[in-house]
Amino acid sequence: MAQASPTARLLAKLAAEGLLPPAQAAAIADDERTRPFSLHYELQAFLYLGITLLTGGVGVLVYQHIDSLGHGVIIGALVLAMAASFAYANRHRAAFTWGEAPRTSTAADYLLLLSCLLFLVLEGYLQVQYGLFGNRYGLVTVLPAALFLCLAYLFDHRGVLSMAITSLAAWVGVSVAPLTLFNDGFPSQELSGPGLLLGLALLAAGLASEQLRRKPHFAYTYLLLGSNAALLAAMVRLFDGDGSTAAPELLRALLVALLVLGICTVLVWYARRTQSYIFLLLAVGYGYVAFTVVLMVMVGFVNLSDVFIPLLILYFPLSLAGLIALLINIKKILRIA
Amino acid sequence: MSTKAYPAAWADDEATRTAADRWQRRGLLTPAQQAAIDAAHPVGYYRPHNWIRLLLLIATLFGAASGLGFLLLATEFKCSSGVYAALVALAAIALLEVIVKRSQHYRSGVDNALLYIAVVAWGCLVYELTDNAFSLSFISINWLLLVLAALLVALVRYADPVVAAACFIIALWLAALILMHSKLGRLLLPFGLMAIVGALLLALRQLPARADYYYYRSAGLVLRALGLAGLYLAGNYLLVREGHAALLTSGGPSGQVALAPLFYLLTAGIPLVYIGLGLRRHDRLLLTVGLLTLAFSLFTLRYYRSLLPPEIAATLGGLLLLLGALAALRYLRTPRHGLTAEADESTPPQFNLESMVVAQTVHVAAPEAEYEFGGGQSGGGGAEGSY
Repeated sequence: MAQASPTARLLAKLAAEGLLPPAQAAAIADDERTRPFSLHYELQAFLYLGITLLTGGVGVLVYQHIDSLGHGVIIGALVLAMAASFAYANRHRAAFTWGEAPRTSTAADYLLLLSCLLFLVLEGYLQVQYGLFGNRYGLVTVLPAALFLCLAYLFDHRGVLSMAITSLAAWVGVSVAPLTLFNDGFPSQELSGPGLLLGLALLAAGLASEQLRRKPHFAYTYLLLGSNAALLAAMVRLFDGDGSTAAPELLRALLVALLVLGICTVLVWYARRTQSYIFLLLAVGYGYVAFTVVLMVMVGFVNLSDVFIPLLILYFPLSLAGLIALLINIKKILRIA
Repeated sequence: MSTKAYPAAWADDEATRTAADRWQRRGLLTPAQQAAIDAAHPVGYYRPHNWIRLLLLIATLFGAASGLGFLLLATEFKCSSGVYAALVALAAIALLEVIVKRSQHYRSGVDNALLYIAVVAWGCLVYELTDNAFSLSFISINWLLLVLAALLVALVRYADPVVAAACFIIALWLAALILMHSKLGRLLLPFGLMAIVGALLLALRQLPARADYYYYRSAGLVLRALGLAGLYLAGNYLLVREGHAALLTSGGPSGQVALAPLFYLLTAGIPLVYIGLGLRRHDRLLLTVGLLTLAFSLFTLRYYRSLLPPEIAATLGGLLLLLGALAALRYLRTPRHGLTAEADESTPPQFNLESMVVAQTVHVAAPEAEYEFGGGQSGGGGAEGSY
């Protein structure tokens, strides 16, 4: 008995407790032994890594070998590769639906991604060599954004949707990547306005897809990237005060904090609806920072620093204890099953 | 007092429910049967969702830090730092035991954080008590021994995965320090470390047969992953050569090491053995570590021999990877050799990684005044890959 595998011991225990008939326990043990080993995620990682390496390498190669290969050959090869992978993806495309389309082919999903990346390489090459868009640099990023957006809806592809949003953000001039804060820091102050607008637009798109049931599973991508852009931009506005305690300064800080709290409310609503805890995490983190900053501004404004600084020492332990209590009881508060 | 901090039934019941869920997904159990199993093996402890656990962990660490700050201010920094460390360690352990007993916390984030705080405080206390000849290049063996002892006690009692990882690192550090005391030990360092890690891996094979397997499963998994990686890294040519140069010679570019063919063989062979065994035994940990070590072996190769320029290597490697994966998808559409390309319906669906990964790795150049698409930055972030 002691030598049996852990699963066999579990089955024996369940059979002994009368929760499983012995025949069924034997069938389960048999299935555990003969079930094929899934390489699904490993192969997907290979596909993604392969595509990233390939397009990264090609992106460099085309510029290095312009002289030896000639423009025609490079453009022809890029168009051919793009068309071939797009044709494969198109052949395996599921019929359009406003819901989530069934996944027909893993290969098609990744070849669509490849053709989109090759499109970016081709577009960049045409712009550099022929000045295709002239000085209208905005077009260089708006065109792929629009194209990818259409493709994302047509092919029901969240990866391409992310690419569309990334292009759109590049047009505005900000980054929406989830780890932007850690790589590049906060956006600069001039960009925080457009970043905020883009983020709010993306949040609205996410809410609309969820509420109108138009590709509701896209809401996750819209809300994640949108909230990231909007909250980062709002934080910049929150922190860039020059320390003056004039009333307009205070009013602006309050407005931005209210906006942050509003966005956090939307995130909590979505987290409740889809039981997606990452949005809860975002909302609690940013909400706490916004609340704390507002408190600081208020303390500075009422000019009672001497009284409040000792209280601030208590504020952090106490508010963190409160945060822990909130998180422990989050299921009850949010009524998440 | 039992040696285990948490009731063993918590881990067993958790494993039972997970297995029942898996069997129900595969259609081997009726929902009613699963419900009966769940009712017979209820959740007797508190553990929230992973994100909340992470937040609780961070919040507890911050809370403890500000609590310590408050203590320092209240006592006006009058006591020695050893006294503060002892106070923190005692308070953290006491609080940990209380929340496990009273509130049934089981790896909720709060208990993990308290355990880590206690271990770190113990490390500070031991530092105060042992000789203070302490720098990064020379850490006293006494300190390592006392910390390792505490970590081992914590591992047996709390079976925490992070503590397991810390045990592994401190133990190997200690072994390396002892070996480096003699010239012979320094020469045999790779083999000494491989022997220790190999012994650990052999010992871990006994774990599944133990009655308390589920209590120690996550800690065992961490130790096994680190052991497999350590076994490879100890024999990796790059680390052996550069390590040899750093330890035995006085700087400068590294020269060829003795027994180089053996290390070539280990660097190339161990990943392939891992991958082969992983596929054969349906062992995902072995397979994953095998793939990661294979990538590091390719990096090792390119570190000494630049076979192709990076952009050509990336293009060819990417193409090869892409075509290979496409071929494997096609070949494994129907299961063969006990392998399949289909998603495993017995694992719950992974959370929505795709959008995050694509948004993080695909770069679209932002338009600027003097705007050029130079350097192919539009294509993605993998151009400097290890192929």
